[in-house]
Amino acid sequence: MHPWRLLSIPLLVGLFVALPVYWAYPDELSSWRAVGIVLGWAGSGLLLASLLLMLREVRLASWLGGIERMTWWHHWTGLAGYLVLLLHPLALAAAAWSESPPLAWQLLSPFAQNWPVWVGWAALLLLMGGLCTTFASRLRYTLWRWLHGLLGLGTLAGFGHVLLLGIDAGAVFAILAALLMLVWRLIRVDAGAAAKPYVVRSVRRVAEAMVEIALTPLVRGMPAEAGQFVLVAFFRGAHYRGCGEYHPFTISAIDSDQQFRIGVKALGDCTRRMQGLEPGVEARVQGPYGNFLLERPPKPQLWIAGGIGITPFLACLRSAPVEQATRLLYLYRGDADAAFRDELEALAATNDGLSLETHATGAAAPDLAAILPDAHELTGHECYLCGPPGLLDAAGRLLQSRGVPSSQIHSERFDFR
Amino acid sequence: MTRTLFICSTLAFWIVVSGLGMISLFRMPEKQGTAAPGEKIITPAELAGHATPEDCWMAIRGAVHDVSAYLPEHPSRPDIVLPWCGKEATEAYETKMKGRPHSPYADEMLEKYRIGTLGKAP
Repeated sequence: MHPWRLLSIPLLVGLFVALPVYWAYPDELSSWRAVGIVLGWAGSGLLLASLLLMLREVRLASWLGGIERMTWWHHWTGLAGYLVLLLHPLALAAAAWSESPPLAWQLLSPFAQNWPVWVGWAALLLLMGGLCTTFASRLRYTLWRWLHGLLGLGTLAGFGHVLLLGIDAGAVFAILAALLMLVWRLIRVDAGAAAKPYVVRSVRRVAEAMVEIALTPLVRGMPAEAGQFVLVAFFRGAHYRGCGEYHPFTISAIDSDQQFRIGVKALGDCTRRMQGLEPGVEARVQGPYGNFLLERPPKPQLWIAGGIGITPFLACLRSAPVEQATRLLYLYRGDADAAFRDELEALAATNDGLSLETHATGAAAPDLAAILPDAHELTGHECYLCGPPGLLDAAGRLLQSRGVPSSQIHSERFDFR
Repeated sequence: MTRTLFICSTLAFWIVVSGLGMISLFRMPEKQGTAAPGEKIITPAELAGHATPEDCWMAIRGAVHDVSAYLPEHPSRPDIVLPWCGKEATEAYETKMKGRPHSPYADEMLEKYRIGTLGKAP
């Protein structure tokens, strides 16, 4: 990745923290009180940065190094903001403690009749509740998404607390910025205003719980490339009623006239329903996103695919023969799950640079130590991994232990919660 | 890791907050100021009786001030100051714009409106 793209988010987050802290930096205050104020503004900056990082604009995602990176930083800036804001009242209480211990409680007490304190507590409790549900991965996605919205409310309430303290300029600016990003996200992403209308052209079953869906644009489509992914929501058809939620899917083929195909595996309620999709169903598509496999250096390649993770590699192979010596390891549970295996074997037979190894791993975790190449076979290789998070983590660790530098290990994971 | 960090920090936060709450329960309030010789002792109940813009007393750092005459001249919006009439307002006084306390000039001016010392509730 280009160094500027790599630095873009850390620089942006630094700016979001430094600007409010510089603007509000307290002079002539006791040290604990000054720390408390700086923490309050630093936390606010981190939460604003986290809001910016949940936008899904294609150009913004490209500048910031992709949605996966943005999501990672969205999580970390949000959590860091929360941690810093937990310390904010405690540092102010410490300042009060130095004057008189009961004053420390008086400053924090939600029982005092004081709107700034009440709203401050409400903000902190909303952030706490929002994060509790964020970490509850067993919740249904629709419910999880709504509860995750508590964090947005908590952020707004936090700036309301600043407004009630009489810090008008800073609070108004922060409230407007937060509202702009929340409304932008709700309209453009969640309500799908940024999405383009498509229609399902065909549906083909490729494995027991996986279909390949071909989509045709109803207006001008989007210029996607093999290896990228899109967010797609399906709506109504003659006999089908979609759940209307946007889910990420890797493009499995780019066809003519800006048509493309995606692979959909039944992993949750919504994707299970998609197994019954039929031609003619309305769809809306956002993207394309990601640069996985797009910037491959002229070096020998090792591709590792687990289950549905075969789709970006398949899209690449379908679009053009490989130019570098490429070894593709395709892991799946059993024959019923081996989507596209026949087609991959046919591609390998006609593509001199491509060698294909398929492994039926069964229900247990695969024996990666035996499946992955030895250290001497990995020298100078660029490794691309796509599959379930457990496989990516285990394979990434094993590759590093066999001498592959982390800069030569690239992976794609779809964990946008 | 993020989940563990969230749980541990949230628990630690509540332990500290409840600790401060317990301390305040077991310790006598220390908000009463040192009474100047011959100065009137004003109870919190008496203070609470002067909570209108026309009759506004505030307790700041243990001393009670009748700031009714000064209120129209105060630079911030009235709704920032008025809710503190009839109350212990030290925290508000010390967290002015951008968290800065009031200036020594304001302290001096405040002294002019001093009418007594905040006493204990009867």
